[in-house]
Amino acid sequence: MAIPSKSNKGWTDVVTGKTKHQLKFLAAKVMLGRLVHAVQENPTPANISAGIDQLHELYSKNAHMPSVQEDMKTIFG
Amino acid sequence: MSQAILTVDEAKEAIAKGRVLLLAGDEAVLRSLPNGAWVGGTIPYFMSNKYGGLASRELVFATDITEVATGWELQRYDAETVAQVYVNAPENGFSFILIPASCPTHLSFALNAPNYEQFGVRPLVGWIAGVHLEDLGKITPKAINGQTGEVIEDGALVMAVTLPAGKAASLGIVNLFEQGDGDTLTFPETGFSAREVFVNGKRTNFAQYLTEKQLDTKLPLVADYYGALVNISFQGVDAAQGVVNFYAPVFSGIRYKHAKPVTDYVADFKNKLAQDCSLDDTRLVFSCNCILNYLYSELEGKKTQPFVGPITFGEIAYQLLNQTLVYVEMHDV
Repeated sequence: MAIPSKSNKGWTDVVTGKTKHQLKFLAAKVMLGRLVHAVQENPTPANISAGIDQLHELYSKNAHMPSVQEDMKTIFG
Repeated sequence: MSQAILTVDEAKEAIAKGRVLLLAGDEAVLRSLPNGAWVGGTIPYFMSNKYGGLASRELVFATDITEVATGWELQRYDAETVAQVYVNAPENGFSFILIPASCPTHLSFALNAPNYEQFGVRPLVGWIAGVHLEDLGKITPKAINGQTGEVIEDGALVMAVTLPAGKAASLGIVNLFEQGDGDTLTFPETGFSAREVFVNGKRTNFAQYLTEKQLDTKLPLVADYYGALVNISFQGVDAAQGVVNFYAPVFSGIRYKHAKPVTDYVADFKNKLAQDCSLDDTRLVFSCNCILNYLYSELEGKKTQPFVGPITFGEIAYQLLNQTLVYVEMHDV
C-alpha cells in the first residue's frame, strides 16, 4: 500500500493534534506522544514540516506492516 | 519459534545443535554455557508454561528463533554508540537488545532513546538484565555475548535478526495500568528523580505531594502516548530529602496521572487480552514481563499464557518501559 505524500493535509492534522485517531502501529503512537506535544508548543511551519518528515519516514519504512496499512486507512480513508 | 524453560543440559544441547537463542538465567548458569549462537541476560525470574511464574538459579529461559532467523549479528554498544542502534538495525528484521540494569548505558538509553536517529523505524525489543533480589547491591546484572563468552556490566548487546522475505516482526505491549481520575502531573525536568512537579499546573514538592495524598507507589505514573499507555514506576520516596526516584525517567512536557489500582493481575490480564489483543499465539516470538508486576501481583506459580519469558528489570519496546508486558509477533507480509 502506498503511503500518501507528505503534502497530504492528513499528516499536518495528525502532527498538530488537530485530529486524533485510534492508531495501531505502536512505534507511531510512541513517536506521536512526544511529537504532537512538541509541535503544539511551537507550531512553526518548520516544526510542523520536521514532524511530518519523521512520521512519514516511520510509516514509509514500515509500509508492509498490517498495522501501518490499517493506520493509513484510519488517517486518510 | 519456541519459548521454554530448559535445564542447563538441555540448553547446552540446543547450543550444540546450532540453535539461535535468546537466553535468560542466573549469571552462574549463563557462564556455564558453551559458546554458540546466543545472547543472554542475567535474571533468575521467569514466566513459564509449565510452572507459571518461578524463581530459579538453576534453569534457563530460552527463546529459540532459529526458524525465523535467516541471519543474525551480535552488536555491542556503549552509552554513546547505542544512539546508533536504530541506524544499524537490519532492513527486514528486528533488533533484540539486552542492557544490564543501572549501568551508564541503561541510563543513557532510558533518557535518550526517543531522540535517536531513525527512532522506531525498525522494531527494537528487549529487556534490562537484573539479579536475584537477594543479590541486589552485591552483584551486578550482566549481558553475555554467547558467541565469544564476553560478559559485560556496562553496555548493550544487540542481536540483529534478519527475517525471511515475506515475514515481518511487530511489537506489542500489554499494560494493565490505566490513568486514574486524579491530578495531572508534569515535570519541569527530565530524569530518573524529581524534586518538583506541576500538579494541575501548580508547582509543588513531589515527595510531599505523594505523602500528603497517600498515593500507593506500587502503582505507576501513566502517560498517554497517543493511545499507548506508558508507565513510570516508583523506586522510592525520600521524604527527608524531598526526592522521588523512578525506574525509568519522567520526561518534561509529558502529562502523567497516577494509575488506577489493579486488584487481580491474572484476572485483569485475561480480560485485557480478551478485549484488546487479537494475538495468534502461533505468531508469538518473544515476550517478557516486569519484576514489579511479578512481585506486586504475586505472579509466582500463576500463568499469563500465552505470554511467557524472562521477568525483567525493565522492558524495551522502542524505548524503556516499566511494569509492562512486551511481545514480538511475526506476520506474513
